[in-house]
Amino acid sequence: MTNNNEKVLIKGNYAIAQAAVNAGCQCYFGYPITPQTEIGEYLSGKMQELGRAYVCAESELGAINMVMGAVATGVKAMTSSSSCAISLMQEALSYAASDELPVVVVNVMRTGPGLGYIYPAQGDYNQAVYGGGNGDYNLIVLAPSTVQECVDLTYRAFYLAQKYRNPVMLLADGLLGQMMEPASFGEYPYPEIDVSSWALTGAKGREARKIYSVATDEKKQIQHICDLHRKFEAIAENETTYEEFETDDADIVLVAFGSMTRNIKAAMKVLRENGVKAGCFRPVTLNPFPHKQIYELARRGKEFAVVEMNMGQMFKDVKYAVEGLSRVSLINRACGEWLSVEEIVASVENILKGSRQLTASL
Amino acid sequence: METNFIFAGFGGQGILLAGTILANAFMLEGKNVTWYPCYGAEMRGGTVNCEIVVSDSEVSSVHKQDTDYAIVLNQQSFDRFITRVKSGGTIVANSTLVAEARPRNDIKYVFVPMTKLANDLGTSKVTNVVSLGVLASACGIVKKEFLAKGIEKVLGEKKKDLIPLNIKALNIASNEGALV
Repeated sequence: MTNNNEKVLIKGNYAIAQAAVNAGCQCYFGYPITPQTEIGEYLSGKMQELGRAYVCAESELGAINMVMGAVATGVKAMTSSSSCAISLMQEALSYAASDELPVVVVNVMRTGPGLGYIYPAQGDYNQAVYGGGNGDYNLIVLAPSTVQECVDLTYRAFYLAQKYRNPVMLLADGLLGQMMEPASFGEYPYPEIDVSSWALTGAKGREARKIYSVATDEKKQIQHICDLHRKFEAIAENETTYEEFETDDADIVLVAFGSMTRNIKAAMKVLRENGVKAGCFRPVTLNPFPHKQIYELARRGKEFAVVEMNMGQMFKDVKYAVEGLSRVSLINRACGEWLSVEEIVASVENILKGSRQLTASL
Repeated sequence: METNFIFAGFGGQGILLAGTILANAFMLEGKNVTWYPCYGAEMRGGTVNCEIVVSDSEVSSVHKQDTDYAIVLNQQSFDRFITRVKSGGTIVANSTLVAEARPRNDIKYVFVPMTKLANDLGTSKVTNVVSLGVLASACGIVKKEFLAKGIEKVLGEKKKDLIPLNIKALNIASNEGALV
């Protein structure tokens, strides 16, 4: 199941775990929580086999701080968790962003708020994209839609984290974590990044280095925040990715992220059979978000319907992106059973008849 | 063209494994396929189910409201999933544990005493694989040769010695002339 192109039927969680191994992840720290426990389960054996580090941490707070410590030495490391326990890591993610540490964190979303439950949901969009920690910082957020992308985007997460020295969150959901689908692993496709200029490897023969986020000098802190900001502008310029399908002649563009993407693509086909010119747009990077591309579609006169499993979180980003040029509607459910193709088709047809916003009932 | 299957039964009947073998069979045949389990506070003796979607193109939603085929190994699953079978769809039931009733007239029924057939082979543990053989006889797109490959793939080297028994289980229903 490692480095080859053979297709294997595999769960999203196991795919993420094996991809992390292939990407060269040397250390995994985590604490079990449904629906992502298989990641830790798999790595608990695999990392030991390979002579790498696996620690079942005492808490999520412990796990993310261990990741920060490990990556500060220049090795690749990650943690994984789900929603309510990702919340426990927010302070550390703010520190990691300020410290410019290439932390990789996987969030296999369940429902919240609070403890919520283990049903799949997409309610952590805001937390991931806008940050649950303090201060001006950005995570790079990648949202896989298939098990194959659980592999591909885990590879990309490790690469981008080190390339930009920025924390990366892989934002999956319980449905994707639990489902199986054929995927192939190939080999880690990215070059190794030289970390020798900053990693804490012992100061023998060179000046000591410090990684910290305390800022007692106001001017230096302004400079630091501006540097982080400029770095993220470069990330937005170079790394924003998205997919679009049949948007050219579309009147209405369905927008979704993560595993809901497959449902809007199927709904698009049905709508086209029913004579509705529908297209699909799917951000792969949620942060940086493809604002420009959505604006461009709005400028070309298309309206939008955002389909998501929360109360309208990405909806606001799409509205922001279109700058009032066209109508944006919301098709959503709070959590649990994914909106079906039939529900999406019916909702779009209602929107085109004039209904503004649709929240699917239970 | 997209077809979906729900396997359901008691925890411990090998429901998730049967679904995994079917999904592997489709993968080995070169089709697009997804497998999605019910997950939650499940336990041995409780009910369990999984859904497999196979498609010539990319699989759309992996968890659908209705199904083309329901394969049910106990009475509770029959009662629960019969309402989710599409009009014109098929319910494949283990008549050792399910009463032969036909409450809807717009679907097809296949009743086979799967647990009994498995016991004839020496163990009720292969009931799930018997159900796959029955499904292959009832559904043209499920092919026994690929199910056999799926069994080999899933059992692998570690459980190689169990492969012959499972291949027997796969074929027993049609050998018995028990169905359809």
